[in-house]
Amino acid sequence: MRFRIRSALAAALAMALLTACGAGSTGGGSAESAEDYPSKQLDWTIAFGPGGGNDIMARTMVDILKKKKLYPEDIRMENRDGGSGATGWGHLFSKRGDGYAISTTSGSFITTPMQAKTGWTWKDFTPVGLMATDNSLFTVNPKSNITTWEAWVDSAKEKGTVKVGGIGTVNVDFIQHAMLAQQAGYKIDYVPFNEEGQLITSLSSGALDAIVSNPSEVVGQIDAKKMNALLYTGKKPLPSHPHIPTGESLGYEDLPSTPRGLILAPDAPEHAQKWWTDTMKKVVATPEWKAYLKKNDLTPDERWGDDFTAYLQETSGLLETKLREQGALK
Amino acid sequence: MEILGNLVGGIGHAVSPLNLALLAAGVLLGMVVGVMPGLGPSAGLAILLPLTFSLDPTGAIVMLAAVYYGAMYGGTITSVLINTPGESATVASTFDGYPLAQQGRAGPALVMAAVASFVAGTVGTLMLSVAAPVTAGVAESFGPPELFLLVMAGLLTLIVVIGKNRLLGVISAIIGFALATVGIDIGGGEQRYTFGSPELINGIDFIPVAIGLFGVGEVLWTLYNGGHLERLRYFKLKAGSQGFWPTRTDWRESRGPSVRGSFLGFFVGVAPGAGATIASLMSYSLEKSLSKRPERFGKGAMPGLVGPEAANNAATSGAMVPLLTLGIPGSAATAVLLGGFLMWDLKPGPLLMEQEPDFAWGLIGSMYLGNAMLLAINVFCIPIFASLARVPFRDLAPVILVMCALGTFTVNDSIIEVGIMAVCGVLGFFMRLFGLVPAATVIALVLGPMAEETLRQSMIISGGSFAVFVQRPGSLVLLGVIVVLSLLPLYGAWARRRAPDQSRSGERV
Repeated sequence: MRFRIRSALAAALAMALLTACGAGSTGGGSAESAEDYPSKQLDWTIAFGPGGGNDIMARTMVDILKKKKLYPEDIRMENRDGGSGATGWGHLFSKRGDGYAISTTSGSFITTPMQAKTGWTWKDFTPVGLMATDNSLFTVNPKSNITTWEAWVDSAKEKGTVKVGGIGTVNVDFIQHAMLAQQAGYKIDYVPFNEEGQLITSLSSGALDAIVSNPSEVVGQIDAKKMNALLYTGKKPLPSHPHIPTGESLGYEDLPSTPRGLILAPDAPEHAQKWWTDTMKKVVATPEWKAYLKKNDLTPDERWGDDFTAYLQETSGLLETKLREQGALK
Repeated sequence: MEILGNLVGGIGHAVSPLNLALLAAGVLLGMVVGVMPGLGPSAGLAILLPLTFSLDPTGAIVMLAAVYYGAMYGGTITSVLINTPGESATVASTFDGYPLAQQGRAGPALVMAAVASFVAGTVGTLMLSVAAPVTAGVAESFGPPELFLLVMAGLLTLIVVIGKNRLLGVISAIIGFALATVGIDIGGGEQRYTFGSPELINGIDFIPVAIGLFGVGEVLWTLYNGGHLERLRYFKLKAGSQGFWPTRTDWRESRGPSVRGSFLGFFVGVAPGAGATIASLMSYSLEKSLSKRPERFGKGAMPGLVGPEAANNAATSGAMVPLLTLGIPGSAATAVLLGGFLMWDLKPGPLLMEQEPDFAWGLIGSMYLGNAMLLAINVFCIPIFASLARVPFRDLAPVILVMCALGTFTVNDSIIEVGIMAVCGVLGFFMRLFGLVPAATVIALVLGPMAEETLRQSMIISGGSFAVFVQRPGSLVLLGVIVVLSLLPLYGAWARRRAPDQSRSGERV
């Protein structure tokens, strides 16, 4: 009880500080006319730790914005990680009405509010656009001698129940496994992991039968024949490994992917939203951005404004239905 | 022969003026990162990573790796001087390091810790040079059952730390395990004891707890005992004066622990998971078990500091094995490095060493030079750091408190964590007052979540059967290690009873 009061006090203090800062900058923002935008330092939140997919995308974007001199003022980037994105996007949520607070999205942007009382959902934020999606590779240990999806399904059915792994519980990885298993007609025991390294060695040690991972994390393993890739969840084949069949080509539709997009604080001024939409269209046309997509094996998928909202709506509905079906959400 | 050629090429690559400058900058930054309580290597690397995007990959990795192992050297200093571990791998260094400082032996403690770190860094790098491909197989064979058993081996340290004070010690550990249950349960996705606070979704990090229990708790305890009324006379300052340099006994006692710690640290470091932390804790219990006078442990035994120091440094070299040979990050810090690989246009994976020999061998070569630099920096800087001990405690206490608060805040920019640290500071004081064991709480908090996660994963995999721990070769080996570690103290007691006179006379040389 004492702890609860203490943390509530601390939270109240933190909120008071945040609101004080927020109020300061919003006051300036609302008085500003559309032509003057942008005229201030940008507060760029990365809701995850450094080195991960979200972090690398954000840093690449800022690098391009700076190199092409697209944003005239300073950009202050901050990794506010914790709580599967709850901390970082919670910070952005507290910046209501501010046109100078921005963040990049991940799968957790949709799923974290489903499982935790975050106080916000994806619907609260001002959408800028989706720039790409991050899909997954389904891999098995080469010692299993399984090299095709068909062989995998046969062996899984024979075993009855297979052990599969991915990152997190209420997450895209779990849903991909569950959808594939349900449609192919085999049963899974899903083992959740926190770290990619442990997930990979669990497969190599023979503890797991199959895992899903983002391509950039495992293409090195696949090239070295330490893993066999059986299926790619993207709509089009992976450019660096076109021989890996896509889920759709094998008859699995609507496999979810991780949205790599950009959002502003709730109720951000319309001119800020428009400015960022126009600017990001320039960013995604640069060779640097294309090189980034290629290096990280991302799928270009551009949807702006309302199209982005519709995409989020559709993905969120799909994830929620599937999570409820699997009993991961109550 | 090929390895030797590669290595010579690697060192040649590392000694370009620019890379040497980056290496020097890296080791210095690493020391600073280590000395700041709270700012551990992974946080330090994360802050520095963006600065390296424009560098050539070899220079960048040389610098970042130097920050990584440099932080291990720096972390010792706060552990020994102000009883505040900057990160989990240096928790074990406080057990005997701080009592040594209290006895006025901070100088010898810091020097021996630096020497042990150097020995371990060099042994570890040597092992990385010659045995990387072989030991990579060890990392690849680690699934959840093996990790769980490794964590269990680390938890054996609880027995050593608790000592004779069984009831209070067990209560202390249970407090730690209880704190470890806060946050999202990785198995089922449910929130536990978060009271709706988003800040608690990820659980209670051990850093604010450790800084509070150890650092702040110790300050309060010293004030309670009247430490502010007198000058703390840890030792005379001038190098060369008596009591600053380690005695011959210190050297002799440290030989075994640093060599054992080096090998133990390297192999445990290779395993993905929390290598350095578990390695240092295992080394502590190993040294106490092997010691002829285990009763000195916890009261300022040099082997109790040297062993864990060697182990945590060797573990950083061990952690490079899966990173370079398999492209698998074994720890938070190496995960940041792996993120760097992508940014520098390298493709991490098992083919990295073949495709980018200059990069991999340049890094390995630089680690020999970096460890030598760190030894030199440490031996010259120790008088400066140690001069802290000459500051009257009434002046030092507020500075330590500010550093603890600032250090905690920098990790996640979280004011709630500063609050947790303050609460734990008060808790740490009362734990000391009533004879509880703060170290047991911290060990339980660090290893508890890992034990729970890996046990649940193992149970899902085995369908609830404990047979999974005896069915896999890796698990069997680790079970053997646990049995040996548990039986060693009994053997030690038996050996001591057999030859009590010899061991006594041996200590007095």
